Amino acid sequence: MTVRDVERALRTALSRGGDWAELFWERHETLQLVLDDQRIEDAITGVDQGAGVRVTSGDQTLYANGNVTDVDDVMAIAGRAARSVVDGSGLHEAARLVPDELSRPHSVAIDPRTVPVERKVALLRLANEVARAHDPRVSQATVSYAESVQEILVANSDGVHRTDTRVRVNFMVQVVAKDGAVLESGFEAVRGTLGFEMLTEDAVRDAAESAARRAVLNVGAQPAPAGTYTVVLSSEAGGTLIHESVGHGLEADLNLRGLSVYSGRIGEKVASELITVVDDGRDPGQRGTAAMDDEATPTQRTVLIEKGILRTYLSDRKHAEKLGIPRSGNARRESFRHLPICRMTNTMIASGDSDPAAIVRSVKDGIFVKKMGGGQVDVVSGNFAFEVTECYRIRDGELAEPLRGATLVGQGPKLMSEIDMVGWDLGYSTGTCGKDGQGAPVADAQPTLRIPSVVIGGRVQ
Amino acid sequence: MTARLSNNEVVDRALETLRSGRVATAEVLVRDALSGSVETKDGALEVVTARGERGLGVRVLDGQRIGFAHTSDLAVSGIEACVDQARRMATITEPDQDLRIATAPLDSVDLDIYEPGLENRPLADRGAIALAVERAARAVDPRITHFRKTSYSDADVTTVIATTQGVRASYRESFCGAMTSAVATQNGERQIGYHGEGARRIGELDPESVGTRAAQRAIEKLGAKPFPTQKLPIVLDPWMAMSLLGAISPLFSADNVLKGRSLFAGKVGDRVANERVTIVDDARRKGGLRSAPFDGEGVATTTRTLVDRGTLRGYLVNLKTAGKLSSAPTGNARRGSYASPSRIGPSNFYIDAGTDDPAALVRDLGRALAVTSLLNLHTIDPVSGEFSLGATGTYLEKGTAVHPVQGITIAGNLTHLLSSISGVGTDLTFGASGIGSPTLLIAELSVGGT
Repeated sequence: MTVRDVERALRTALSRGGDWAELFWERHETLQLVLDDQRIEDAITGVDQGAGVRVTSGDQTLYANGNVTDVDDVMAIAGRAARSVVDGSGLHEAARLVPDELSRPHSVAIDPRTVPVERKVALLRLANEVARAHDPRVSQATVSYAESVQEILVANSDGVHRTDTRVRVNFMVQVVAKDGAVLESGFEAVRGTLGFEMLTEDAVRDAAESAARRAVLNVGAQPAPAGTYTVVLSSEAGGTLIHESVGHGLEADLNLRGLSVYSGRIGEKVASELITVVDDGRDPGQRGTAAMDDEATPTQRTVLIEKGILRTYLSDRKHAEKLGIPRSGNARRESFRHLPICRMTNTMIASGDSDPAAIVRSVKDGIFVKKMGGGQVDVVSGNFAFEVTECYRIRDGELAEPLRGATLVGQGPKLMSEIDMVGWDLGYSTGTCGKDGQGAPVADAQPTLRIPSVVIGGRVQ
Repeated sequence: MTARLSNNEVVDRALETLRSGRVATAEVLVRDALSGSVETKDGALEVVTARGERGLGVRVLDGQRIGFAHTSDLAVSGIEACVDQARRMATITEPDQDLRIATAPLDSVDLDIYEPGLENRPLADRGAIALAVERAARAVDPRITHFRKTSYSDADVTTVIATTQGVRASYRESFCGAMTSAVATQNGERQIGYHGEGARRIGELDPESVGTRAAQRAIEKLGAKPFPTQKLPIVLDPWMAMSLLGAISPLFSADNVLKGRSLFAGKVGDRVANERVTIVDDARRKGGLRSAPFDGEGVATTTRTLVDRGTLRGYLVNLKTAGKLSSAPTGNARRGSYASPSRIGPSNFYIDAGTDDPAALVRDLGRALAVTSLLNLHTIDPVSGEFSLGATGTYLEKGTAVHPVQGITIAGNLTHLLSSISGVGTDLTFGASGIGSPTLLIAELSVGGT
């Protein structure tokens, strides 16, 4: 599509009124290979191409989208968006487009599309072998490789015209261990917004080893107890805690409407002074990284909470304007099928001053969480829950027996004000965040943390 | 603009390309969907969306190797490229002698899943439904102060499938749905209540019921207190029971059974649930939200009792696993989209109605906890069956609400949960995902709290 074609689409979008229009065009190429039950079972590839045209008119947003093959299809979608404008009071001109290039947070060394498929298959086999050799109790392994290249173009009636290419790889290992009638599974992934260079043999081996070790550990572990305990979260555990307990609550769309527990609290103390929270959409190679968000706003490093004081929210264009805060480059959409919404990229609690080993030693009786899984938050009440996939009892400052089937629940602001030790280390984890039916690749990070008292979900002994 | 090929022309062109490439066995699927949705905020229309989605998926079986490709480019060159890619994918996978492409001809059957004209409804009609949801919620209680999101959406979807073995069929279906998250406020405390419903016909969707239930869900949580760690009887209303039942369905997948990933492996004929429990998968339910005449592989769907009064009777089976189990395929190859190959899954999957009056179930219990929301359902591990979820609830004494609770967990194993069902209500209800359940009483579960 030429710049003139894009201008024509924006003019069409505003032809029946409306204040502002935007075109989002996308071409997404994917390849997925799955090894399951010792066999390469699936090889799936495809191209998904589409466009979405948005027109705003007062407080209303009109959005039309669909698959497109050629420019005429894009014009048809622009026409559909225009026809939805109900109150077209006054016509607005679209500004002449001024294409520009944004600097990239990192460069991709090896485009995965250029790597022979035999190499990808060999990595699947390697992970399968490593996982199965780990322990005789390993009974099944599923290994998958996915590559994704998303090219986008975003243009709007303010004259913005920008493109971005997001190259992602995602290598996942799921292992089942069996002991008698008990089955347990273990999971590990290597993934990022990077090229094939991420997938070294060592990285693949480590992932397979970790997934197998976790499955075997859990199959022999005792059920976690239920109740209130002191918990140490290892930096290795990843950042599900910060994502669920704080991150979602700082999304501007919820705050504009006063629906978050953090609404109207900029400048106030919302966490312990040991806590600084940052969202960084430019962290090189991380899963949530991109040059720009899905409204063409450049991504940035945003300090959300500084030593316990709330500084700002994660914003898109609309909510930044309404709340009178800067645009933070956090408007993201799963694909052309969706409107962008405010959400996280790579979110972390900054490192502190404590020795991680000393944090564990400080606990007489508690729980050490070594790996977290998925989580969920009710942003209105602040209540959150997250899954623990690897944890141990702490007895007299030492790690003791492993425990399985634990969940941590709490309330965001309360938990953040109670954290009383923050380690000098930092560990990352990756995931896919779900909000309003849209998935987005994200990363989270945190140092080792001590929570004096939190509810653990497990079995009543 | 090149002439747009019709859905049938796309299928014909794909079959022709396969034939001229001497591909002996393959399956082609086209899905064409038009949908619209509206979101409201505080009495006004905020977002209006119109979507068109159309694409092709091709599955090639080359000898004993399978390959899959999809495209949204339905020009002749795009279709040809997609077929080429599917053939290339089939050179990467490893042979499996039980892979099959459907051969059995399909009968036409009317499942009452289509209402014409849904996608042409005026915008104002769509908006009116969402606004009626908000109004109904506000009418429940003045403490309903906000909405996180209220929406109405509908869709008109055509699916065409064809195989090189002569299977060819299509069906058209409609959906409409409304949902809201109502927020209740009292003395600085805020609680949210979600509810959504779906239907095949607009006349079957009740905006009042959506708004009312969401509001009640929010109001019932106000004044929530912490709760001590203990074991006690748990009541799951149909909506809460459905969400847990959804997590149980992977245990029935023949693929999981064959690969040692299901606790139901080798258990056909065994008792796997309390004798009060009968679980049915019915893809032929009239007007069902997951009813379809054939599955994603072009195999006729069926109605089956999976658990009969506590005893496991069978699994959910596709063409490949039917070969491995020497049984008939059950039409459970579910196709999420044209862009993904079929995966084994349930259709309209439900626990059959029991004989207990739902209110009477709790009246005889000294103490019980009625669950009002569950957090982290997506983390339930179907392999181990272990679950440990965040929850809110209402503490009951002799069936009377004493106070709401929050910040708790409920934990157990799915297999243990099925055997601990000690009461099954008469109030079978189906939700927006096609899953159904009556009220269930669980004899005892671990609750984590203070």
